[in-house]
Amino acid sequence: MVPAELRYTKSHEWAKMDGGTVTVGITAFAAEQLGDVVFLELPAVGESVKAETPFGVVESVKAAVDLNCPVGGEIVESNENLTGNLELLGKDPFGSAWMIKVKTAGDADFKNLMSAEEYEKFLEEEGEH
Amino acid sequence: MSELRRTVLYDRHVAGGGKIVDFAGWEMPLQYAGGIVAEHLATRKRAGLFDVSHMGRFVFTGKGATRFLQHVLTNNAEALDVGQAQYTMIPNPAGGAVDDAYLYRFVEGEYLLVVNAANRQKDRDHFAEHLAGFDNVEMADKSEDVAMISLQGPLAGEILTGVIDSGTLPEPMRNELGAVVINGVEARIARTGYTGEPVCFELFIESKAAPAIWDLLIERGAEPVGLGARDTLRLEAAMPLYGHELGLDPDGRGIPIFSCPLARFAVSLSPLKGDFIGIEALTRQHEAFKRILADDYSLIADLPRRIVPVAVAGRGVARPPAKVFVGKKHVGFVTSGTAVPCWEVEGEGLAGRITDEKAMRSVCLAMLDSDLREGDRLEIEIRGRMTEAVIVPFHLRSEAPPFARAILFDHSLAVHEGPRHRGPAKARDLLEKTLENTIWRQRECINLIPSEQTASPMTRLLSVMDPAFRYAEHKPLKAFYDADVFYYQGTGFIEVVESLLEDELREFLGCEAVETRAVSGQMANAIVFSAMVDYINRADRKVQPRRLGCVMNNHIIRGGHLSSQPMGALRDFVAHDPRTERPAVVNFPVLPENPYKIDVPACRELLGRYRPELIIFGKSVVLHPEPVAEIRAFVDEMGVNTVIMYDMAHVLGLVGPNFQEPFADGADIVTGSTHKTFFGTQRGIVASNYAEADERYHLWEAVQRRTFPGSVSNHHLGTLVGLLMAAYEMNHFKDEYQPKVIANAKALAGALKRCGMDVAGDADVGYTQTHQVIVHVGYSRGPEFARRLEDNNIIVNYQAAPNEEGFTAAGSLRLGVAEMTRFGMAEGDFETVAQFIADVVINDKSVKAEVKSFRGGFTDLGFCFAGDEFDGIMEKLHGLI
Repeated sequence: MVPAELRYTKSHEWAKMDGGTVTVGITAFAAEQLGDVVFLELPAVGESVKAETPFGVVESVKAAVDLNCPVGGEIVESNENLTGNLELLGKDPFGSAWMIKVKTAGDADFKNLMSAEEYEKFLEEEGEH
Repeated sequence: MSELRRTVLYDRHVAGGGKIVDFAGWEMPLQYAGGIVAEHLATRKRAGLFDVSHMGRFVFTGKGATRFLQHVLTNNAEALDVGQAQYTMIPNPAGGAVDDAYLYRFVEGEYLLVVNAANRQKDRDHFAEHLAGFDNVEMADKSEDVAMISLQGPLAGEILTGVIDSGTLPEPMRNELGAVVINGVEARIARTGYTGEPVCFELFIESKAAPAIWDLLIERGAEPVGLGARDTLRLEAAMPLYGHELGLDPDGRGIPIFSCPLARFAVSLSPLKGDFIGIEALTRQHEAFKRILADDYSLIADLPRRIVPVAVAGRGVARPPAKVFVGKKHVGFVTSGTAVPCWEVEGEGLAGRITDEKAMRSVCLAMLDSDLREGDRLEIEIRGRMTEAVIVPFHLRSEAPPFARAILFDHSLAVHEGPRHRGPAKARDLLEKTLENTIWRQRECINLIPSEQTASPMTRLLSVMDPAFRYAEHKPLKAFYDADVFYYQGTGFIEVVESLLEDELREFLGCEAVETRAVSGQMANAIVFSAMVDYINRADRKVQPRRLGCVMNNHIIRGGHLSSQPMGALRDFVAHDPRTERPAVVNFPVLPENPYKIDVPACRELLGRYRPELIIFGKSVVLHPEPVAEIRAFVDEMGVNTVIMYDMAHVLGLVGPNFQEPFADGADIVTGSTHKTFFGTQRGIVASNYAEADERYHLWEAVQRRTFPGSVSNHHLGTLVGLLMAAYEMNHFKDEYQPKVIANAKALAGALKRCGMDVAGDADVGYTQTHQVIVHVGYSRGPEFARRLEDNNIIVNYQAAPNEEGFTAAGSLRLGVAEMTRFGMAEGDFETVAQFIADVVINDKSVKAEVKSFRGGFTDLGFCFAGDEFDGIMEKLHGLI
């Protein structure tokens, strides 16, 4: 089960709209797939990001994976607590393991994302491959 | 999906929560529920269990098998004795690797070759193609019939011992093989692995029996490990993986085999190996490799790049094929790399404790230009950014079992602080510290190190009188009928002392000649080895002298002293066996029920087969007399032209009817240090029974030459005078002293046993026939207990038993009673000592105050001359210092 109030990308990021600011993280499924995360690189505050392009990198023992931004805008906060406490990604992916907050101009990008229901269906289909 | 293969343990992996992936056509567990980091750490601290049944296993049989393997492999298959394994490469004509492999010779007439899963078909085709040119060799693919399980880590030995029905583990050295029965079926076991763990086993079991054995090992505490951690473990150990460090580089060019540091051990260019695939290219690479090591890059084109361990100093993880730069110059690329975990260690050295805290570090292997060196700073391009890195010698060390130790590139040892004083204050500080130390060791500690002895007051005083500052080089000249000629004046006293000492020692040992100028027991042994080389080359003075063709000795893990080992004083005097490409040393076989005793009947066959030129008895872990008479009878009967040498360092003070009379038993040469059971100052002697009329007297003359001028110029004349007094004491008091030492050792052993301790040796002889007692205190716990005993003023040394991997994994304590016997302790006193030891080891009690007070009752040294008649002269001597 994934939180119903969030929206999702096909690359397993989640997004939460709060006024004009979108909080972004990775889903429990993504965290589990990564395994032991050893390194996380997040953008600095003030950088601008585009929707569906990388905003950072997460590395596990196995591999390095790009983090794709669900929405475009300007970074207003970067979770510094997370870079030193990577185990939070496994423990609390939808909560304290949030990664960035993006100030966005509108909600067009956000509306394009999958709903919780759609994302779960997507996960099921992925699993069949 | 249906084409993927599964090992016989597949169901276990699924049931155990394994995340199954496709690996080289096999459905294998990448990791289990705990994840890669947890599995890596479990292997390093406890024991990891790996299913490696997906690897290819080929068996080669037939009379032509060795010849064939010599042709298609780089290592020297002929060098493998039954019971040994070796790492090897499967070369191509260009000197690259078709694959890397491990060759096992479990039984006569059969070789087992294990290859990478991904290359199984390719390797089989490669071999099949070359088989056409060879007769009498068959290859069989046994990959399906035999399962392969790897058990690695500090607890692996204990876990495995716990499941064995019968048989014993292979000897505790890498690449040793054996067979045991587990759960009713035969398991072949190799001391090999792909993790860098010093305690490592790979098991070969009939496939259908494997799942039950897998379960048994897990029940005993082994933790399943998937392919993910298998890769991080091998990366940390800097072991190559085909496709990364072997095969083709990212540009598609073949990687020369000598690019891999392990090639030095995996490629044999022995003339006896003969022609093999790639020999020309490998010979060129080897030449280039040798020059590169010597900073000569003239042949660098044959070995342009080498694979080295690199630590990432900056943030980030270096993964293949990241580019590596020095300044603007592109110098190579990462071949393997990730972040690996390690346990944090608290404290330094042997006392360092592995904590429950983990750390992550970013490490890689990189293929870099051959002119780069350890310590060179690099930059690795990670996602477009340059990250700092450094070439390191290694990421991990395996020489301190039971743990593999992570080596961090930026770690440095705590600096030892010297005295802060200056000038006279510094001097006073040293005097005070020496006083403190002397009172502690002489009055407050129970000293049980079997190689130590306190000398008598007279011996000590004599050792620091005038001769301590003199020289007295001398040698016999034939021109003067072998009269000794001294080089300096003022040496008349020393000449007399040396001659008297020779007389005393001849009487004590019952022999013809004694050389007293060696200043240590190890030097005494080296003198004999050097003299042997001189002697065997006596007919051929114009060519490079040959070394000793074969030497028989006690293996170091079975009590042999390092001074008689190729790793010690024997190194430069023993030949390399051209077949094995190792020092030509053969070890005495020991009794299965008592590894401290030589198996005499089994020696006979070895003596006949190897016909050693030198036989070295004597050990530093010694509980029994050595079978000198029996071996003398064998060599005489078989006509083996040999020299029997007995290094009696430990038992020199016990020579006589109470222990052993080496020359009466047939020894040719006796060596020894003079300060263990003997009463002396710290020196060494060589003695022989060759009379002047014997042909072998030439060997004795060589001993004298290799002593002076071969080994000493100044032979430490102070302690020589002291040793003469010690010899007087020994000859005068030995009849009383020797039986007491042996009775005390038996009393200590018996009392320790009654206190519940695990005493080694034969109970029928009271566990010991010498001054030594060996107590097992639990695998790898020797250092800890030795330290705790020291904290309680009981001084012993930790000792590896014959089944342990090395001294850091020692599970025993070695105790000796000679020094405390000399301070007056009797059998009843050693029962008290046993109780103290048991209180510390078993009951974890503090007995420091009791030990100090008990030792206070034994501060007068016995078995030495004392009394009013000596007081005046002793005082005068003191007054002259």
